[in-house]
Amino acid sequence: MRQPQFIRSNTFHWALMVAGVFAVFVIVLFGFIYWKIDDYLITRSDGVITVELDGIAGLSPQRRLEAIDEKLREDPRGVQLAAIFAADGHRITGNLESLPSHLQIDAPAQGTDIVRTDRGTRQHEVVRAIARRMRNGDVLVLGRNVDETMEISHVVGQALALGLLPGFCLCLLAGAWLSVRAQNRPVDEPFSRLAVIVNGMLDEMETMIHALAGVGNDIAHDLRTPLTRARLALERGRTNATTLVQLQTVADKAIAGIDQSLAIITALLRLAEIENSRRSAGFGSVPLHEMLREVCDIYEPIAENKNIALQVQVADRLNVRGDRDLLIEALANLVDNAIKFTPEGGRVDMELLRGKGEAIVRVTDTGYGISEQEREAVLRRFYRSDKIRNTPGVGLGLNLVAAIVKLHGFRLAIFPGQGCRVEISCPNPEDGSSGKIGPGKR
Amino acid sequence: MALVSGKRIVSRAQGSSPANAFAVIENRLMAKVLLIEDDSETAEEITAELSDRGFEVEWSANGIEGLDKARSSRPDAMIVDRLLPGMDGLTVIEALRKDQVRTPVLVLSALGAVDDRVRGLRMGGDDYLTKPFAVVELVARVEALLRRPVESRETTLRVGPLELDLIERTAKRGDRAIDLLPREFRLLEYMMQRSDQLLTRAMLLEEVWNYKFVPATNLVDVHMGRLRHKVDGPDEAPMIHNVRGAGFILRSGS
Repeated sequence: MRQPQFIRSNTFHWALMVAGVFAVFVIVLFGFIYWKIDDYLITRSDGVITVELDGIAGLSPQRRLEAIDEKLREDPRGVQLAAIFAADGHRITGNLESLPSHLQIDAPAQGTDIVRTDRGTRQHEVVRAIARRMRNGDVLVLGRNVDETMEISHVVGQALALGLLPGFCLCLLAGAWLSVRAQNRPVDEPFSRLAVIVNGMLDEMETMIHALAGVGNDIAHDLRTPLTRARLALERGRTNATTLVQLQTVADKAIAGIDQSLAIITALLRLAEIENSRRSAGFGSVPLHEMLREVCDIYEPIAENKNIALQVQVADRLNVRGDRDLLIEALANLVDNAIKFTPEGGRVDMELLRGKGEAIVRVTDTGYGISEQEREAVLRRFYRSDKIRNTPGVGLGLNLVAAIVKLHGFRLAIFPGQGCRVEISCPNPEDGSSGKIGPGKR
Repeated sequence: MALVSGKRIVSRAQGSSPANAFAVIENRLMAKVLLIEDDSETAEEITAELSDRGFEVEWSANGIEGLDKARSSRPDAMIVDRLLPGMDGLTVIEALRKDQVRTPVLVLSALGAVDDRVRGLRMGGDDYLTKPFAVVELVARVEALLRRPVESRETTLRVGPLELDLIERTAKRGDRAIDLLPREFRLLEYMMQRSDQLLTRAMLLEEVWNYKFVPATNLVDVHMGRLRHKVDGPDEAPMIHNVRGAGFILRSGS
């Protein structure tokens, strides 16, 4: 199953990372607080036993025994530990079984393991204790059970840990919220725009990679056909031709085949040249109305020969910025196609219209038309509709038109249906009032 | 049609018709042509072809040497490859033009013609041919460069019985008036300025219609067919001749 969009989003990953870092900081901070509290409580209890030890040590041996008994008696919670051991190690009084082996004498208070006897049974405990050797050789030991302290620390620690969990969850929630918000962000935010551009780029790359894979095969196929014919002609001529005239006929056939292959290569190179060129610097003002008339002038006899009515309708004189030669080439290609794919007795119309802030050059014919499914395909290299498979041509004409239109920043639209309507929309036309009508001087 | 590619000769015109086409051009005999081309095979083919046509050809394989030869031997026309060792073809031409040498040049190149330097070249009266090209095309263009029409103040063009009034925009063949459409008039005018000269389809497209590309449909043939129909009456000797695989010639005599 697919994860929700926001979990895969970068924003969410960032949020997750920030939450992680935040958690680590909180854990360190809480650990520090815990350690500080624990340390403080133990230092305090150490201070207490040290002061008591000083007090009891200052008494006479007899009074010491009394003081210890009194101290233990007044300790209902049983946190106090006190004992006096003789120099030989046996206990004189107190609630410790023996002198703890690891307890250093005449040293500051320390944690040690003891066995207490006042609870009826022997009981191991870890306590803070301090020991001092008296002048008569006895060892006075005072201690304090720090379980209570530890409990306090434990409670504090638990509270902190409990606080950490909701904090972390809150971070994740915030991250998720930010991510979801990023998904639904209005499109005019810089990052969204960048994303749109990058997505567009990726789409185009994908199309191009697919196109590239197909084009290789198409080129190979389209080149092979005329070359095969040339080869066959040469082969047959070499064996069969007996006179110079026969040989020349064969050579002509072969040359025709090679010429066709070269025409394909030339068309491809020209396409690449236009697609790669950045020649907007050389753009000038091109009067579209004149251009239409010129192209019409050139194609009129061809249309007449095919009994097709070729007509120009110019609503306005409009100029656009562009390359005259390339624009004529594009328009000539469209008209060429229109005439080629229109049966005898049909008509081809060229129109120049003024749209909303754009000039529209429209070529309409009454030919076979382009079906909805073929609309994308006709812009592919070498695409030839099944309906026109037998019409001669290279199959790159519309590619050239598309490349030229793209170079100019214009738009090419193909409308399907009965007959075919192709439009080139040129934004920001200027009024070409100064332009002269009719075919210009060369 | 014979074709010369960038590095290898595909084939060469040996057919009789293009050869005949050039038979008329005899007044150009021994015109001196300087060829600057680094690929020796291409150069050999071009040299052989031009020599067959009666040109005196001098060959140079690199730009610097070519420039020296152009300065010293003063050829009538030059054929210059664009990519040359030493100095590139366009630079050679620019250097010559700086010295006020006006020798017409035909530039050969595998590069396309969508280039502003090439445009400048064409405006300066020189010509440009993209590889691979047909040998016939090359020879026709060299001929055209050598026989550039002189700027004249004549308002009437005459070729044989044909007469073209540039002011009145009328045409006559003998006493018969020919009714021409503007585009036909322009085509005939161009051909009459270059009578007895082979004009290839590409040349006509470039010069008469200002087309910088080869259209899919055979435009020139259709236009020429119509013009021929008007110029050559049914019982008149044909003046416009189709040279198969090459182009057209307007012949002055019979």
